[in-house]
Amino acid sequence: MIYSTELIKGTLKTIVLKMLEDNKKMYGYEITQRVKELTSDKIQLTEGALYPTLHALEAEGLLTTEIEYIGKRVRKYYSLSPNGKTKSKERVNELAEFMDTMKFLLDIKTKLA
Amino acid sequence: MYCISDEQIDFILNDIRRNGVEKEDLQLNLLDHICCIIEQNLEDNGNFEDFYSQVIKKFYHQNLHEIEEEAELLLTFKNYYAMKKVLITTGTFSAAAFVMGSIFKAMHWPGAGVLLCLAILVTCFIFLPLFYILKNKEVKTGREKWMLASGTLTGILYALSVLFAIQHWPGVTILWLTTVVLSFFVFIPLYFFTGIKHTEARFNTIVTTVLLVGATGLLFTMIRVRDPLPIQMYAYVKSEHLLKHMQEHSAKNNNSLAIEINKSCEALKASLLIPEIGVSSIPDDFESRNMVITERSMTGVFGMGKNKELLEQLKANVHKYNASLSNTELHIPIDHSVLDMPQDKIEMFSNLAVLNNIVQIQMFLANSKSATVACAK
Repeated sequence: MIYSTELIKGTLKTIVLKMLEDNKKMYGYEITQRVKELTSDKIQLTEGALYPTLHALEAEGLLTTEIEYIGKRVRKYYSLSPNGKTKSKERVNELAEFMDTMKFLLDIKTKLA
Repeated sequence: MYCISDEQIDFILNDIRRNGVEKEDLQLNLLDHICCIIEQNLEDNGNFEDFYSQVIKKFYHQNLHEIEEEAELLLTFKNYYAMKKVLITTGTFSAAAFVMGSIFKAMHWPGAGVLLCLAILVTCFIFLPLFYILKNKEVKTGREKWMLASGTLTGILYALSVLFAIQHWPGVTILWLTTVVLSFFVFIPLYFFTGIKHTEARFNTIVTTVLLVGATGLLFTMIRVRDPLPIQMYAYVKSEHLLKHMQEHSAKNNNSLAIEINKSCEALKASLLIPEIGVSSIPDDFESRNMVITERSMTGVFGMGKNKELLEQLKANVHKYNASLSNTELHIPIDHSVLDMPQDKIEMFSNLAVLNNIVQIQMFLANSKSATVACAK
């Protein structure tokens, strides 16, 4: 099952921040592949959502960038700025709490229980 | 792994550009991404062009430009909700401060000026610009954008004109005129021709246009386009002439209080005239020197400092003078004059009214010299 884009939209920033927190520096394609791999293809980030998010995070000062030339093309690596590191932790915690609340709200029994 | 040639890179980059992605940053991001996908997924002898056209389709719903739009939307509207909140807060604040300020002004309570200033400045420089920024994102056509811009500008000019008018600041006429011209020749036509196109909004557009034209016309009739003759000033100049004449043609008054009162009167007049015309009395050739005293409210003029001191001194001397005379017919009449008013009512006087009050005191003294001298003896 692939999750709907609507579900992913609200968590995309958090996903990107967390990926960069765990992997120091990454480029766009790498992020999509890593997420795909970690979620066994359940979450597939679309380019149309990923790049606008990366640009917005960069504009907010949460990301720093590095350019690498690969032959004729340019690869842009993203990594967390000090601000981004704090923000990443905040957003992950927020999402965790949100999931707890949703579980309660929607009355979902955890699989273990 | 497929190996992409330089020509193919150029081909992709050109295609991205052709499809409306203008930000270089985004172009390069997408180029690298597409190259990665092709390198990873296309077989060595695969068809590049077919594969590319399949891959690129997955990037968008209708066209590639969406990505750039989405990026811009995220950047601009990062603060969308905060901006909306500020818009509502400042709007409510301005409206409340304006109503309160108007009531305070009508009742002559202190703080009216501050409230009105604050209300109008917040409207002009926070509320309306923010309204423009937010609304500008919603309108689509060029004409609607122009309408919004001219409407916002008219609003700002209107509010500023109100501020200048109630604070009696110079330049109010030109501000009003600019507002009226902009409203009448730019905003209203744009509003009318934008609205009339939509069948469902036609009736509302006509009604609102008529109201706008009415409001603008009413405003125009109230503007003093040409400077009026300074009639009040002429009247005061005549009074001064009369005073001079009376003083020259009657006997010298040696009553020390009368002399004192005359001195206070001259000092007070000088203090009011110097800020207006630069000299302490109106010269005979005031017209050829283009000297004009415009009517001004006395708000704050007698609240403190030298003017207040002079007025108090004059009041005290007049009271002493009146007290020294048993015959009440010889008392200097000060009822309804600036000498008779409590502090909060003085601001209803204009500068010329005060000047006339003072010169009338002097005229009364000049006229009653003989009687006073006789009485004092």
